[in-house]
Amino acid sequence: MNGIHDLGGMHGLGPVVREENEPVFREEWERHVFAVLNLTLAAGQYNVDELRHAIERMDPARYLQTSYYEHWLHAAEDLLDAKGVVTREELLRRAAEITQRSSAAASGTSHSQVSGAPSGSRAPGAGRLPSE
Amino acid sequence: MPALPRDQVRGAVRAGASARAEVPTAPIFKAGERVIARNIHPIGHTRLPRYVRGKHGIVQRHHGGFVFADTRAHGLGDQPQHLYSVRFEARELWGEGAIERNALYLDLWESYLEPEGSS
Repeated sequence: MNGIHDLGGMHGLGPVVREENEPVFREEWERHVFAVLNLTLAAGQYNVDELRHAIERMDPARYLQTSYYEHWLHAAEDLLDAKGVVTREELLRRAAEITQRSSAAASGTSHSQVSGAPSGSRAPGAGRLPSE
Repeated sequence: MPALPRDQVRGAVRAGASARAEVPTAPIFKAGERVIARNIHPIGHTRLPRYVRGKHGIVQRHHGGFVFADTRAHGLGDQPQHLYSVRFEARELWGEGAIERNALYLDLWESYLEPEGSS
């Protein structure tokens, strides 16, 4: 498809900025996205070409404003929903649960630390409404 | 799609899984041959960049057979094809303002290419 991902030859995007000793993961949620992607690939839920195409189908404006791991997260959500592994409804429900428990923990009323919940910030793709 | 067997996980994580595959037919192109990247605009997945479509290049080498991303992305199977490294001059791609000695090498599947002079 002639999508936003095909940037070759486009002007105005600025220089490629290279960071010395760039960390593999900047945030804890990125580590989880990396694991989910690789495990679902190894489990045969989808292949790398389906993954790339799912990223290409992102909303163009959103594609340009989001990071590499957000692209991966979008693809995992999109493909697992399409294949009926994790539906959009299940994802939204789980994201709401985590948000609720995280805010409860933050206000000191929690009984346990939520494992797997991004500390402080929510994973950017989780809980997106289907219409977004 | 089959899951990766447990005993192959370690190897796949370390080295990646190979996309090489046997192609039943002989390669159409050979090194040194002039080709044109097809001017196609598929609505699905493709690994043929827009900026090279319709451009002339020279086959540098034949890589062998590889599973075809454009069909695999849509559940249409591996359908392996011959893959070639094709050299495109910078001026062919970007016009006379490009630096003369610059060139770009793209790995392209056989169905992305046609022989020069065929169209």
